[in-house]
Amino acid sequence: MEILKVENLNFTYPLTASPAVSNVSFSVNKGEFVAVCGATGSGKSTLLRLLKREISPLGETSGSIIFDGTDIEKLAPEKSASGIGFVMQNPEHQLVTDTVWHELAFGLENLNLPQNVMARRIAETASYFGIENWYDKKVSELSGGQKQLLCLAAVMVMNPQVLVLDEPTSRLDPIAASEFVATLKKLNRELSLTIIISEHRLEEVIPACDRLLVLENGLVKAFDTPQKAMLKLDEKLLRAMPAAVQLFRAVGGRGECPLDIRDGRRFIEEIFGSSITALPVSEYIHHENIAMRFKNVFFRYERNLPDVLKGLNITVYENEIFCILGGNGSGKTTTLSIAANLVKPYSGTVEIFGKKLKEYKNQSLYRNCLTLLPQDVQTVFMRNTVREELEGAEAEVEMLPFDFAKHMDKHPYDLSGGEQQLVALAKVLASKPKLLILDEPTKGIDADSKYRLVSILKQLKADGMTILIVTHDTEFACECADRCALLFRGELVSEAVPREFFSDNNFYTTAISRMTRGIYSNAVSVDDAVKLYNLNEGGEKPCL
Amino acid sequence: MRTFADSNPIAATIYFLTVSGIAMFAANPVISAISLIGAVVLFVMNNGRKSVSTHLFSAALFAVMALLNPLVSHNGATVLFVMNNNPVTLEALIYGICSALTVVAVLYWFHSFSQIMTSDKLLYLFGALSPKLALTLSMALRYVPLFGTQIKKTHASQKALGLYKDDNIVDSFKGGMRIFSVMITWALENGIITADSMTARGYGMGKRSRFSLFRFKAEDIFLICAAVVFSVLSIYGIIGAEFEFYPYISVPAVTARLAVGYASYGVMILLPVIIGVKEELKWKYLKSKI
Repeated sequence: MEILKVENLNFTYPLTASPAVSNVSFSVNKGEFVAVCGATGSGKSTLLRLLKREISPLGETSGSIIFDGTDIEKLAPEKSASGIGFVMQNPEHQLVTDTVWHELAFGLENLNLPQNVMARRIAETASYFGIENWYDKKVSELSGGQKQLLCLAAVMVMNPQVLVLDEPTSRLDPIAASEFVATLKKLNRELSLTIIISEHRLEEVIPACDRLLVLENGLVKAFDTPQKAMLKLDEKLLRAMPAAVQLFRAVGGRGECPLDIRDGRRFIEEIFGSSITALPVSEYIHHENIAMRFKNVFFRYERNLPDVLKGLNITVYENEIFCILGGNGSGKTTTLSIAANLVKPYSGTVEIFGKKLKEYKNQSLYRNCLTLLPQDVQTVFMRNTVREELEGAEAEVEMLPFDFAKHMDKHPYDLSGGEQQLVALAKVLASKPKLLILDEPTKGIDADSKYRLVSILKQLKADGMTILIVTHDTEFACECADRCALLFRGELVSEAVPREFFSDNNFYTTAISRMTRGIYSNAVSVDDAVKLYNLNEGGEKPCL
Repeated sequence: MRTFADSNPIAATIYFLTVSGIAMFAANPVISAISLIGAVVLFVMNNGRKSVSTHLFSAALFAVMALLNPLVSHNGATVLFVMNNNPVTLEALIYGICSALTVVAVLYWFHSFSQIMTSDKLLYLFGALSPKLALTLSMALRYVPLFGTQIKKTHASQKALGLYKDDNIVDSFKGGMRIFSVMITWALENGIITADSMTARGYGMGKRSRFSLFRFKAEDIFLICAAVVFSVLSIYGIIGAEFEFYPYISVPAVTARLAVGYASYGVMILLPVIIGVKEELKWKYLKSKI
């Protein structure tokens, strides 16, 4: 049964010439899981917001959106508010009230429901989402993943028929993100909830979805099952897709496109030769000088709290890209704060370019020496336009292979996550650091920006910079790092070049490494797998 | 197990207001003394043997207030001694002791009140007055700490970006001002997201209902009724029976009416203790069956 039908939808923002959404038609059946993908600026968010009357953007609209048989413009306010649920990107600011229980009650209060009905709905929602244990907590005490789960529960408590999500996991770490997607899958399967979701991280969403809506410059490019839609994607969009899809397309696979690791592995077993199982390894030679060194560093935030870092030793050599990976609470961000002298360890020494931190007097550490790009890039911006921001910092825009021109007069907050990251990076680079420190640079950015970021970092390295990155993103670390290390409970537990690091790890590794385990010994990226495919080309198994 | 602290906030507030209000406005040392005893008992019941410092502070406050009055006020006919050419009178000393008694008693009541009324309960109370006010307060309680954390984060990231050129106060003050101004933009920009999230969940459709964690139970009704009945009785009893301090101390004769007033107030201040003991006994009995 059809629950949502969009017909010839056009939308143009005020004072812009070209429409943001043009001639979009599609229909969604009850219980379908639809993923929406497209590059930044392809009209994803605009389209999703148009589906929710209360927050649809201002501008010129034509065409119709039919929800459950009624045009959404003509829906009763209660039906419109509760029938279509909407979850946004930023969990922090979607939360309205100070306590978990009040957040759950907020939507029901707006519907003016009596106390006993609210009590029942809140109770069943809280127990379904496993919120019972933190029901009395302040929302400020929750982790990012819990906050976004609360946002979802606070919408689900209103019992919507369609759930629309606009990049809900882009601010979450990968573990919280996959838990969030798993919850969506559960809602879809158990309650046959109709879900429409746009997402940057598609590794988990694509295998879960029934149909994929591909947008390009406001037009529908494809609306089909993911297997078929994959064949219509261009290279830029392909980068956002699961590794199995990228591999399938890269070797020109035919037939059913694999979507997840399991099918990807089957695909490799079927058509890849295995006479050559390893790629030649060239030894990594690091620079002799040390850029940053932690010696036996211990740190805790307060006297009576437990240690965050327990005798941490790190050596980063000059002119290398060093990636620290690790789960939540392993001390990654703390390590960076110590390196940037924002907090002080209670024991141990930290040297930057052979000089102890305390010998850098009068903020000289931050002049042409070291700089930190924090996780929340909004904390970097101090001006009203990108132009003021960059000129104020005396940034050389030319050095970044990114066209800032069309964004110059926008407010930094109005840019997409990826664009914000690049503007922030440009500003940070203005101080001409020798050591650049990045905290989770891939959080909230799309696949294309990530790709661009990798090439920028490689260019900076070629120009002689040392780069220290903390990340959750295994694919990103695999692409750009010279050496990777795993931080666990305040200590570095392993340290190696990416190829060795990721092929030795079983769980904390890249999708390709998981797919090729036991078939190839050291393939960690899509490029590696493609190389091995080509090396084996003409082997015992012919290409289908 | 339900204790006095678990009472419905409205019932608890009515109780605290009547008990402390009578003590404050009666100007009756007997009432003040009864009140102080009840307040200390309740406080000790809630806190056990901890918070010795509170008792010490109260004792010190009592002493200072009691002794200060005779030094300032020289009314009264019975001169104890003369200090700096000023007479120190017995009446002023007694008056000081009586008023100190009242103040300390009321302080103890407020102390217990603030311990029992957590922020959730206060919001419930405000919500009973105005649901809009309750929501505004809840949003403020969410936003103010968030704003504070963001200032800290911005400060740290700007420091690492070299916003501060030197280690001096002027520079850090200037940097602080810039951060504050950018934080206003931050709050406004992100406030739009919050507003969207509110309208998306149907805010602004009209009348809102209010969800609360607290219900009225039989015990709460009992508490309110008891508070009202006993306070009416005690006010009726003590009205007209006035203590006079100057120039001579005159104590009103204890009539049947006044006795009823004292007794009613006495029962009233014991209500939390009665509830506590009753629950304790019930619990012991139930526990013996487990």
